[in-house]
Amino acid sequence: MLIARNISKMLGQKQVLTNVNASIIPGQITALIGPSGGGKSTFLRTLSFLDPPDSGSIKVDDETFAFPNKNGNNRPFPWPKVTIVFQQLFLWPHLTIRQNISLPGKDSNDHRSTEIVDDLIEFFDLGEFAGRYPNQVSLGQRQRAAIVRALALCPKYLLLDEITSALDVEHVSKLLTHIKSLRDKGMGILLVTHLIGFAERAADQVIFMESGSIVEAGGTELLSSPKSKRLGQFLSLVGTAN
Amino acid sequence: MDIFDILAKYRGEFLQGLLVTLKLCLLIWPIGILVGTALGAAGARWKVGIGLPSKVISFTLSGIPILVFLFWLHYPLQSLLGIVVQPFYTAVAALSIVNTLLVADLIRGVLNDFPNQYVMAAQVCGLSHRQTVLQIQLPIIFRQVLPNLLLIQVTMLQATLFASLISVDEIFRIAQRINSEVYRPVEIYTALAVLFLAVCLPMHGIAYWLKARFTRDLSER
Repeated sequence: MLIARNISKMLGQKQVLTNVNASIIPGQITALIGPSGGGKSTFLRTLSFLDPPDSGSIKVDDETFAFPNKNGNNRPFPWPKVTIVFQQLFLWPHLTIRQNISLPGKDSNDHRSTEIVDDLIEFFDLGEFAGRYPNQVSLGQRQRAAIVRALALCPKYLLLDEITSALDVEHVSKLLTHIKSLRDKGMGILLVTHLIGFAERAADQVIFMESGSIVEAGGTELLSSPKSKRLGQFLSLVGTAN
Repeated sequence: MDIFDILAKYRGEFLQGLLVTLKLCLLIWPIGILVGTALGAAGARWKVGIGLPSKVISFTLSGIPILVFLFWLHYPLQSLLGIVVQPFYTAVAALSIVNTLLVADLIRGVLNDFPNQYVMAAQVCGLSHRQTVLQIQLPIIFRQVLPNLLLIQVTMLQATLFASLISVDEIFRIAQRINSEVYRPVEIYTALAVLFLAVCLPMHGIAYWLKARFTRDLSER
């Protein structure tokens, strides 16, 4: 399991995460929902070890990383066992789409990694664009490329930050099918989304976060029968907007 | 006497002048690129200890015309120090210092503005530090640096003409001397312009081609 315990973080003078506790279980999809500025992306970044928290601990299976690092241990962070697809994508601009996807596995002698890359490129309809550079394809194609780059790593824990924002309905459906199959194979997935419908279809667990704290967490029944007043208000506004 | 007669008659002198210009460049370019790159990289790494003084010196020197700086190194400084340095080496020193600071500014700027998100993406993909430097950082930095580096070196080539004013026998001074003998300024200075066009335009063209080809849009519009 990927377990976050008492995660707190400040950015400047502002407390952005306050004693956040969450677990990402292998074989489960957890949706993280909430208003903008609530700390969702920040939490994802701390969980991915890119932006370590000020205090708390993150346990990845048998390995615990405590913060702050008082012992001065310089253990490597568990990448790409834990990996993230950024909201801003961060595709490498000097590499083609195919090179972006295949570079992480390039030094591997495992031929299976090349097969995985080819299969994923084909599944996400990137074959025609694989030889182009990121600034030569559409935002939706770039988003699919960023997703495929992470999936090709075969991580154990996959963190997804607003990955459906530029995808059309067809590709959202394909993505949903694929991440469900990854879940069935034992991958633990945490996804941040503003699409409540997507969360309802994809997730096994839901976490509602606001102002850096978890307000409510539980199964997807929360989306139809929230226990907290705040979640109820949030869902009703989302329902009105939709 | 037409231009071809002039070129034929004075080909030895012209060639000599060209050689001196070439020698100037073959010293100014590598000194500026190597020392400037080291200074720029150090300035990006140690912002307060090296970067800030380097910026201050560069900023101050940018207020002095290259010609004035060259003259200052040739006359006042040598007089103050009580030394005599050959004009050729004074010119090399002056233009190398200018080139070094320009290159350092370029390198420091590119390194300081490097989009760190690409390094983060490399980290979460499990790339080693070595892979990240060699396959992500250096290629992007190289593509950002190369076109402007080339343009700076073209500017340095053109600046070598100032060396003629402290009696260095480079191509412009040779052209002036020959003109004082034959008094055919139209032909001689047009030939000089054509020569520089023939050298500088291709270099400009390469720089712009590199910019268009390799400077990928980093904003991912």
